Amino acid sequence: MEGERSFSDVCGGRLVLQCRYYSPSCREFCVSCPRLSLRSVTAVTCSVWLAAYGLFILCENSMILSAAIFITLLGLLGYLHFVKIDQETLLIIDSVGIQMTSSYASGKESTNFIEMSKVKDVVINEAIYMQKVIYYLCILLKDPVEPHGISQVVPVFQSAKPRLDCLIEVYRSCQEILAHQQAASASP
Amino acid sequence: MACRRGGGHGQPTLATLSRVSPGSLSTCRTHTHNICMVSDFFYPNMGGVESHIYQLSQCLIERGHKVIIVTHAYGNRKGIRYLTKGLKVYYLPLKVMYNQSTATTLFHSLPLLRYIFVRERVTIIHSHSSFSAMAHDALFHAKTMGIQTVFTDHSLFGFADVSSVLTNKLLTVSLCDTNHIICVSYTSKENTVLRAALNPEIVSVIPNAVDPTDFTPDPFRRHDSVITIVVVSRLVYRKGTDLLSGIIPELCQKYQNLNFIIGGEGPKRIILEEVRERYQLHDRVRLLGALEHKDVRNVLVQGHIFLNTSLTEAFCMAIVEAASCGLQVVSTRVGGIPEVLPENLIILCEPSVKSLCEGLEKAIFQLNSGTLLTPENIHNIVKTFYTWRNVAERTEKVYDWVSMEAVLPMDKRLDRLISHCGPVTGYIFALLAVFDFVFLVFLRWMTPDSIIDVAVDATGPRGAWTHQCSHSEKGGENNEMSKTR
Repeated sequence: MEGERSFSDVCGGRLVLQCRYYSPSCREFCVSCPRLSLRSVTAVTCSVWLAAYGLFILCENSMILSAAIFITLLGLLGYLHFVKIDQETLLIIDSVGIQMTSSYASGKESTNFIEMSKVKDVVINEAIYMQKVIYYLCILLKDPVEPHGISQVVPVFQSAKPRLDCLIEVYRSCQEILAHQQAASASP
Repeated sequence: MACRRGGGHGQPTLATLSRVSPGSLSTCRTHTHNICMVSDFFYPNMGGVESHIYQLSQCLIERGHKVIIVTHAYGNRKGIRYLTKGLKVYYLPLKVMYNQSTATTLFHSLPLLRYIFVRERVTIIHSHSSFSAMAHDALFHAKTMGIQTVFTDHSLFGFADVSSVLTNKLLTVSLCDTNHIICVSYTSKENTVLRAALNPEIVSVIPNAVDPTDFTPDPFRRHDSVITIVVVSRLVYRKGTDLLSGIIPELCQKYQNLNFIIGGEGPKRIILEEVRERYQLHDRVRLLGALEHKDVRNVLVQGHIFLNTSLTEAFCMAIVEAASCGLQVVSTRVGGIPEVLPENLIILCEPSVKSLCEGLEKAIFQLNSGTLLTPENIHNIVKTFYTWRNVAERTEKVYDWVSMEAVLPMDKRLDRLISHCGPVTGYIFALLAVFDFVFLVFLRWMTPDSIIDVAVDATGPRGAWTHQCSHSEKGGENNEMSKTR
């Protein structure tokens, strides 16, 4: 199962899932979306500029044109830095924990780590998202007070939103590790 | 939608199923349907429609069909939930406008409903209650998508006032191209056929049912030194609370050993409180407020006589529940009530204070003279009348019929709307139907059916839950979610 496989996301876009099996107790799943294409950048810039020219012709104020330049530049920077996520990684290590990393198009990375002692289970759930009903993978966290309760649900691959076939792949691997971990913690 | 194309004639169900789930049919009966119940009214809201949908779905699941329910979000309860036996409920985040009914623009619900119908591979849409805007929306969209439709009407309407004239027109539009309609009583059928100008042949009568094991008599809970009259209903105009407020002082003055227990909540509660205040009846009239369904039985068994003062009623569940608990029923003779119970179990009166008082006095006289049947006897008679399994069996027959029928193609549907609904409304709704179709084409272009994930079935022939419950079948190939391997 190791290697790269191509899937699609819930909107029909292409996704690549890379699985790396470092050892029986350590696996990494990496979902990467296609990079920002020049075509879409050009399309957005053109439409902003056309709108700005339209306004300029109407009220003949050159401030609008300079504002349009700033808006496109700042918008692009903000989009690359805060919105567009190129790659999401799920690293699961037996008896240590689960680490989720999302890397933005600008190179910024944000990492979230969950200790294995807090993880109750990894499941596939379904939710209503915008005008769709989608499946998503999520990590259930144990409630520290009540042993059978769930305190929080952490969604995984939140921006990529892969389809069910991809999620099942990741889910099975995660479950193998979790089962291994439970067996190990139960035996001694 | 791949499953629906080319299934117009002959046996669409078979064609559909064999394409969706090849190879899994051998163990199942040939006629299983993927049913989607749509209504604004479902649990946690309480009432007759809600329990009807729930019980019917449970019995259909038992018979091997796949059932899902679509309703709107109730407060914090939104998203997707599973109930007993894997009954899947979609609580859609749509705005509630009035009386738990969603606002309708006819179009805004299409994207979500279409997504659900496609991912669940629904073959029959079953809408409930004519008060529910969502049910009508779903019917409208389902017909655009070419899915068979069934509608259950739970209530009676008038013909005279402005609001009922408008709703009747909408009902005509909504039902003129629906495949089949189910009513809960013959009175209700007559009413619906007249209101919606339908062909009576496509209207079936399937009554409601009660769970007789939930409503058993318990004669030791009631005090035989006093006579207790129980009323359990919402305290609204439709349920005749005004009549009740006339009956209470009259009978309380006449009989000193008479008590009332009134369960339910509503805007008319205030007049009952006024009556209680004015005649100083605090010790004899108990107002319990809103009751949970599980508490209803405990209230019913405390009484000897059940009083129903409804002014309009398609099929009164409350009197069947009361009779099942062994109470003597006194009721108004309105709507479908005379069909519900045989004459020896019910005393029917005209909907007036005088007639109801006479009826109650007759019941009290019978009670005092000991000519009433014992609670056990009444329960044993009633429990054979209305069972959910029977309802499900009969509903299944309707589904079988419907699945043999062809859905009207677009051009015939437009013809039907124009010829059937009058010149103005007909053209307006034909135009809306065209818009709906164009919107659907747009949605299919935006998110083609092929990129919508097929949902993992919880119920039905490939149900993950049913397979887990009965290990005799070759389970476990399609329940990725619930089994860890």
